[in-house]
Amino acid sequence: MRKLLIITFLLFLTGCSREETKELNVLNWSSYIPDSVIQAFEKETNIKVNYGTYSSNEECLAKISNTKLGTYDLVFPSDYMVEIMISRDLLQPIDRFRLTNFQNLNPVYLNLDYDPKNEYSIPFIAASTVISVNREFIQDEITSYNDLLNPKYENEIVLIEDQRIIIGLALLANGFDMNSTDERELEIAKNWLLKLKPNIKAYDSDSPKNFLITKEAAIGILWNAEAALAKMENPNIENIFPEEGIALSIDNFTLLKGAKNVDEAYQFIDYILREDVMKEIILSYPYKNVNLKTEELLDSSYLENEAANFSDSYIAKGKFVKNIGSSIKLYDRIWAFIK
Amino acid sequence: MKNNKIIRFIFTFPVIVYSIFLIFLPLVYIFIISFFESDSYGGMIKNFTLNNYRELFNSVYIGIFLKSFLIALITTFFCIIISYPFVLAISRKNKRIQKILITLVMVPFLTNSLIRMYGFIVLLRKYGVINQVLMNLGIIHDPINLMYNNFGILIGMIYTLLPFMILPLYNAVSAIDKSLIEAASDLFASRFKIFCKVIFPSTIPALFNGSLMVFTPALGYFFIVDILGGGKIMILGSLIKNQFLTARNWPFGAAISVALILITFIFIYLYRKIGGKMDDLGGM
Repeated sequence: MRKLLIITFLLFLTGCSREETKELNVLNWSSYIPDSVIQAFEKETNIKVNYGTYSSNEECLAKISNTKLGTYDLVFPSDYMVEIMISRDLLQPIDRFRLTNFQNLNPVYLNLDYDPKNEYSIPFIAASTVISVNREFIQDEITSYNDLLNPKYENEIVLIEDQRIIIGLALLANGFDMNSTDERELEIAKNWLLKLKPNIKAYDSDSPKNFLITKEAAIGILWNAEAALAKMENPNIENIFPEEGIALSIDNFTLLKGAKNVDEAYQFIDYILREDVMKEIILSYPYKNVNLKTEELLDSSYLENEAANFSDSYIAKGKFVKNIGSSIKLYDRIWAFIK
Repeated sequence: MKNNKIIRFIFTFPVIVYSIFLIFLPLVYIFIISFFESDSYGGMIKNFTLNNYRELFNSVYIGIFLKSFLIALITTFFCIIISYPFVLAISRKNKRIQKILITLVMVPFLTNSLIRMYGFIVLLRKYGVINQVLMNLGIIHDPINLMYNNFGILIGMIYTLLPFMILPLYNAVSAIDKSLIEAASDLFASRFKIFCKVIFPSTIPALFNGSLMVFTPALGYFFIVDILGGGKIMILGSLIKNQFLTARNWPFGAAISVALILITFIFIYLYRKIGGKMDDLGGM
């Protein structure tokens, strides 16, 4: 009797022996992929997705550098951070031939400076900064960053909280390179920002669009998806691409060295690159779509929203944040000074 | 007797482990890396350098120290001003009501402080509840700026930190022997005099304790400055956060943290110098 019990018990044990549950550890920007997409992927593939988020490239780097190798499989760094991660030997090459949907991508967004042959990164979406103006309160023509210095706009401007972008735009406003490390040019940018200071209501990177929607601020420098959403909420908002240029950013799929779930990561990338899946993402977070097949599926509400769907031509003359090495200390000092 | 020791050990063991692994060792780590060089990619080079501490004396960072101190000082001052009348009023009530009122002081802690700050946005913003009510009553015509400025920061700081002043003060005041106050009033001391000669002296350690617990966090609560101040001001907390997350300069961030800890030690030293007892500080 006892033997029988033991045997059935053992059988029971083997019966429920772990059926390999497949997993994938993703670390992504907050508000980039809607939960519904993740759930649909889990259902379709039976892969459990552990999803973590970050709100800046630097935070992403910090999280990767300070966890054990293999903690995360897939991360989404922007252009300059891809370069940094390659140089720090954090990424492994991606074999594009394993991705059936790779050909969906718009070639404009391939083979760019930060990863010339897309060996390590596959573009996911593109983003740009935009000036959003609520025409209910501000009727003046605004074509340049310098227009924002107008003392009439006291306490009316909301900016994204990003020192590289804001100091970069101040450099652009003065005709310099966005990634300048020249101390004299940076000094001029600093003084420009001090002039802008009385007009600044707040810095916010969580949801600056809310400032415009709730009429807390009449002008904003926002990421294009936020600006596009603000426009959908409030038709009085006009989105402007100033003449000096805009700051661009391309976010990418990258596979980390030491990733434990490489096959699953490929499945995930391929899934997101599928035109209908990308459409769902783009409609929730209207950044610039880089998927040609998705573009065919999108309707005028996205295609004609000039903030969301900015022209591809910006990429060629693009102003990207670049890695500036230890000169970042200069930027940090300026940031600390103007605050 | 021996049994007693074992039991004591069992109960203190988790606390000891907690203190060593989650407080002491991280602090040692912070202290060590504050002497490293950064490689600007967020990595650290294990070369001994004092540059991180030298950088602290850059006028930009001195400015941030001063700004943070000013905000923390004003916050502490208002917490004291608000707490005294509150505590004195409570201490005259009967024991049961005292308990209820003190519990109410702690009720907000049940909600995450970040959420409470977001709650303030709804109240204070340009077209928020307070401005709408004032405008509908005809008291003001245009909305007034209640947040995204220093006023908003102070509201958030005082609101969040007030209980840390009230609780020690309340303990001190309720420990005062009532017969002392009666004796003083029998001797025709005015209420003001009773406060100055009897109540105030016996609350000094609590006052210091409360001030320390209000002042020190006020230097670092960057989320209040970011949410209610609109991130326009940088305080020590935001500066440290930036070094770790944006500027990728961990050693410098560590050096600022060490400086902050040193400053706290100096305050405690001064307190002992003027005759304060360490035991009173723990008397929460």
